[in-house]
Amino acid sequence: MTDKIDNEIVPLHALIEGKESRAVLADMQLKPENLPKIFSTDPQAVKLGAKPGDVIKIKRRDYGNAYEIYRLVVEEQ
Amino acid sequence: MAQNKDKNTIEYGEPVGMLAAQSLGEPGTQMILRAFHFAGIESTIATSGLPRIVELVDARKKPETPITFIYLTGEYKRSVGKAEQTLKKVSEVRMGIVVRRILENFSKGIIKLVLDAQVLKANELTPGQLAQKVAKKLDARTKVDKDGNILVKLKTKKLTEVRSTSVKLMKDVVQGVEGAGKAVLQKDPKTGEFYIIAAGSNIGGIMDIEGVDKSKIYTNDVFAMCRQFGIEAARNTLVRELDTTLREQKINVDKRHLMLIADAMTYSGTIKGVGRHGLSGQKQSVFAKAAYEETVKHLVNAAAFSEVDYMRGVTENILVGKQIPLGTGSVHLAIKKEDMQKVKPKK
Repeated sequence: MTDKIDNEIVPLHALIEGKESRAVLADMQLKPENLPKIFSTDPQAVKLGAKPGDVIKIKRRDYGNAYEIYRLVVEEQ
Repeated sequence: MAQNKDKNTIEYGEPVGMLAAQSLGEPGTQMILRAFHFAGIESTIATSGLPRIVELVDARKKPETPITFIYLTGEYKRSVGKAEQTLKKVSEVRMGIVVRRILENFSKGIIKLVLDAQVLKANELTPGQLAQKVAKKLDARTKVDKDGNILVKLKTKKLTEVRSTSVKLMKDVVQGVEGAGKAVLQKDPKTGEFYIIAAGSNIGGIMDIEGVDKSKIYTNDVFAMCRQFGIEAARNTLVRELDTTLREQKINVDKRHLMLIADAMTYSGTIKGVGRHGLSGQKQSVFAKAAYEETVKHLVNAAAFSEVDYMRGVTENILVGKQIPLGTGSVHLAIKKEDMQKVKPKK
């Protein structure tokens, strides 16, 4: 397989700690399962070594508009 | 400025999904139905207009016309010679293109490949190279005769097997990356740098080739992008593809509508279409599903599995005549438990 090298189309992914993820979820008044999902087999999740149940922070920059979204790592169905 | 900001801010309870759907749906009626294909202007013509939008929104596994933009690194993008080297390694050449005629001798189990000298020269291949490749692939003995044709001696003499190997042989890739398609070299008129456009979407294979800028490679195949770079890249590709397709037709749709659609499609970690097999088919509510398509099927299934409808969506509430949870309808009156005890019922 080819190395999963970052492309300019991929925003920055970062794994966040349990404590931080709980704070984020409390702030948004969400349960983890309400977050958008990312598969544990996703190239970016594999690169971070994320396991199901982890939360990944994504720093999006949509046409000059920078913001963060979170995705919950789940097992691929 | 402040007024402008207020005008562009979404208020609580605003039906953003419906706005996005209508903002894309209305201009869709003005789009051309079938793109005209102009022969000879460009070797790679992408699907455009409404067919392309439908393809993206339905999340088709393979686009009708996959295209990959391959940008090159360092000296590869500046010199023609170097760029052409990379081009040759990328561009897919199948056996069927270099072979003019195929002759099968069933009684001896020999396949004779009559090569097209002109095509061979254009691709800088020699019969010897081809013979070696065939020998390796089929594990058979090959020979180049004096006319420059390849003779393949098969181990079997069975008619069906000889025929099936010769058919398979025609599809073999003799040069380039499998699934990369035919590639052409392009020059950026502004910077004078070279890049390659390929009519395939095997970006994994293309990225292995020397001189390819891995951080810039881009394909319009959303699923290929998802496999290679992940779901976020697929989401960005979707937005970009929708936007460029609409822009080609000089239709102005706010990017935020497209972003919302792309977000909804990639919410589950994989790309889902918008139709009955995708987002609409996976609603929680039984009534909402039944109101869309295949009413009886959904009602029967719900009855058989004793499903519960929580009446939280819009469709099901309209169906039974309740206030919809949107706009002012999304606000409810709440009272604290201790305050509730203070309230004395009237006698």
